[in-house]
Amino acid sequence: MPDFLLFFILWVVFSALGEWAVNIWGSHVYYFIASTQAVDGVNATDFILRVLIPLFVFVMLMLIFAMTKFRRKEGDTSSSAHQFKTNKVYITTWITITVIVNFMFLLHPTASATEAMFNQYLPQNNKNVLIVDVVARQWQWYFNYPQYGVQNTVDTNGNAFLELPVNRKVEFVLRSYDPNHTYDTQVDVIHSFWIPAFGMKEDIIPGETRTMYITPTVMTNTTSNPMLRVQCAEVCGPGHPYMEANASVVSSNSFNQWIAQQKKNQNS
Amino acid sequence: MSIGTEPGIGYGTEKPLVLKKSMPPIMKGIIWGGVGFLLANGIVSLLLDPQPGHPFITEPSVTVGWVVLMIGWVLGVGAWEGAVKPAFGRTSNWVAAVGWRRFFEYSTDHKVIGIQYLVSSAGGFFIAGLAAMMMRLQLMSDRMWLFPYPGQYLTTVGIHGTIMMFSVGTVALVGGLGNYLIPMMIGSNSSAFPRMSGISVWLVPLGIFTVAFSPLLGYWTTGWRGYEPLAQQDPSGILFYYLGVFALTLSSLLVALNLTATIVFKRAPGLTWKRLPMFAWGIITVSLLNIIWLPEIEITFLLGILSRIVPFPFFTATGSPLTYLELFWLFGHPEVYIVVVPALALWQEILPVMTRKSLFAREFGVIGLIFVMMLSGLVWAHHMFTNMRNSEILPFSFFTEMISIPTAFSYLVAIGTIWRGKFRINAPSLLILMSMFNFMIGGMTGVFLADPVINLQVHDTFFVVGHFHYTIIGGMVFSWIAAMYYWLPKFSGRMYNEKAGIIGAIWIFIAFNMTFGQFFLLGLHGMNRWVPVYPSYLQPMNFETSIFAFLLGLGFLFHLIHIWWAMKAGPKTEKNPWKSKTLEWMSSRNLAQPNFNELPEVVGNFYAYENDEPVAVIPGEGGVEIV
Repeated sequence: MPDFLLFFILWVVFSALGEWAVNIWGSHVYYFIASTQAVDGVNATDFILRVLIPLFVFVMLMLIFAMTKFRRKEGDTSSSAHQFKTNKVYITTWITITVIVNFMFLLHPTASATEAMFNQYLPQNNKNVLIVDVVARQWQWYFNYPQYGVQNTVDTNGNAFLELPVNRKVEFVLRSYDPNHTYDTQVDVIHSFWIPAFGMKEDIIPGETRTMYITPTVMTNTTSNPMLRVQCAEVCGPGHPYMEANASVVSSNSFNQWIAQQKKNQNS
Repeated sequence: MSIGTEPGIGYGTEKPLVLKKSMPPIMKGIIWGGVGFLLANGIVSLLLDPQPGHPFITEPSVTVGWVVLMIGWVLGVGAWEGAVKPAFGRTSNWVAAVGWRRFFEYSTDHKVIGIQYLVSSAGGFFIAGLAAMMMRLQLMSDRMWLFPYPGQYLTTVGIHGTIMMFSVGTVALVGGLGNYLIPMMIGSNSSAFPRMSGISVWLVPLGIFTVAFSPLLGYWTTGWRGYEPLAQQDPSGILFYYLGVFALTLSSLLVALNLTATIVFKRAPGLTWKRLPMFAWGIITVSLLNIIWLPEIEITFLLGILSRIVPFPFFTATGSPLTYLELFWLFGHPEVYIVVVPALALWQEILPVMTRKSLFAREFGVIGLIFVMMLSGLVWAHHMFTNMRNSEILPFSFFTEMISIPTAFSYLVAIGTIWRGKFRINAPSLLILMSMFNFMIGGMTGVFLADPVINLQVHDTFFVVGHFHYTIIGGMVFSWIAAMYYWLPKFSGRMYNEKAGIIGAIWIFIAFNMTFGQFFLLGLHGMNRWVPVYPSYLQPMNFETSIFAFLLGLGFLFHLIHIWWAMKAGPKTEKNPWKSKTLEWMSSRNLAQPNFNELPEVVGNFYAYENDEPVAVIPGEGGVEIV
């Protein structure tokens, strides 16, 4: 069998096997997701994986061919009989495919998913949005709910706690400063606001106000699933590993009760 | 200029020393540097800028003291006698040492300098590797146990990354293999600026020690990036990060100037650009990258130092907190191509020899290296999708995706060369295939990272850590070890043990993929970076990842011992055991002799295997030597 025919058949077979594997596992690469924004990320990963599988198999097969089909016999010192220095069809196909694949990735998922992300910022898409002010300082999180007049929400142990209603869009307003030193609010460093299950993170820069939009879709909490936790993702000093906060996503009824309870605690 | 007559230039005569040195040059360097440090530090901290409580070591004093230490060290180790005095027309008593001593002083022989760079790099690799082992040991548990304080863990992360990047990644293939091989490969007896090169190598051990001993001034927590504004409030150890990296990058900058000039001006007759060896193409593109970007990062580090010791608020909220990050990654992404471009060139250098087949599509290999070089400065902000202006995300995503096209040219060339060749399986060729495998994974995970919505999830997680270890260890370190085996007969006239080489290659391949393959899963599962403690659900996978990491460390140690043994005691071998056609195999490896008694003339293509016509001729010695 000619080398290229054998190669082609193996390439088709292994690519098909790879696609089958992506079919099974591709939608689970994020382990656990709990927001619409994370779904966009998983879909993008899944799509890129599907396109890359045949390219990956092509190169891997070639490495295996080098060690098997094109392996030199013991004691053979002669040069290969096939001495070609170029092949227009192969080079043209290669470059065409890499250019097409890259431009395709640029259009989808890069531009399409980024556009979807940017659309989150449009005012018409933010009518019933829940605003959560997030303040990061070394090494602590503060969560405020300005629409409800609730500040620095805590759990029963007095630790900062983030609670969100399910299926309602949240606008996180992110700032890095020290609220305990009001005369020197400029002091602090770069942090990064990350809830792994939401599939997105945003850095928090001293002196800037940044926003991030998330629509939680699954009711769970840090205790039952630690991928739903607030985690600082940018190194911010020796306390960085401890800069976590627990969170939970609950029904809108429970959320209202929780807000009322927080209010009561504040006024007492 | 005839070789060996001018002081400081040429080769140590194999005669007993006429003038005995008063003390070993390294000792002299330590004394000059140490005395210089104490004097300069004392003048600043006691006289010029005394601070409350009169501490002897202050941040300004230690900075000035260190600069004087650097100058005293390189002068003492030989630059004063060998380079400075002759440059001012004074008579010099410098006599180059012979035997093993020549490696422990200033030298102008590019072969000696190349070996000094390689040994320094290997030293840095194992120091930083030890730091990595300590990190993995800590991460076996989800609670603090090895380090009592998180700052110590974060300092270890910083020391590991800094020494690996600036004394190994940027240095081993360029300062090491480049200095040793490039003059030979282009048919020259020396590099263009041998004295500068002889000085620059001594900045590497200084830089490694400065970073490794940075905890003397206090733990710093920023990682290898020296991130501002965090660095502003870190303990003073961050100063030794800036200064150590300054020494290391300065060394690489001098190497880049030297090797660029060497390739441009010192090529043998007939060695046209069209015939230039692939490794030389790799070195000249990486050197141009170094010349463009290293001054930029050195200025940035200078700003970092000034904002501490003056102090300036350059990078705090009253200044501009993101400026440092932008300046850092403007250099930082080209840096990873600085690491990997010579590795890609090595594939194209070694594969034709091992397949006995002409290099396929050579011009695309060259174009690929050049375009990677040119595009590398346009992709850097993909490190900042989480904090940049949203409107800048798409352009940088675009360039980042596009750089895979020229990078893929290396695969196009390698695959075309392998196809229907006669592939000889041995340690170097196997390691090159492994490097291609690893870099493929590194590159493909890079496609995910280039996509903004995916990036916003996996940025700052172990997914990214896995990705860049695949490109740097998987791409560069595997190619480095391949090159060490490939050129071992050149370095030593001896051969390694093939069985040990292949077993070692498989060993590190499995350990590497089991370690860093799991990094991707850890990252996707929510493991963030720079944390010695983490949620307990991630502990089992971290535990086993650590075990593979230790096996990987042992595997590298195995290669080091094997290569060391082979160079000292391996079986003697012929001059050109791989029957390669490049010029370095025609030259003398004897350190007391010039590379070529008569300069060769290049008459053919180094990578053409369709016939046995000579590639180069050496006149003299009673006829024509044909390769």
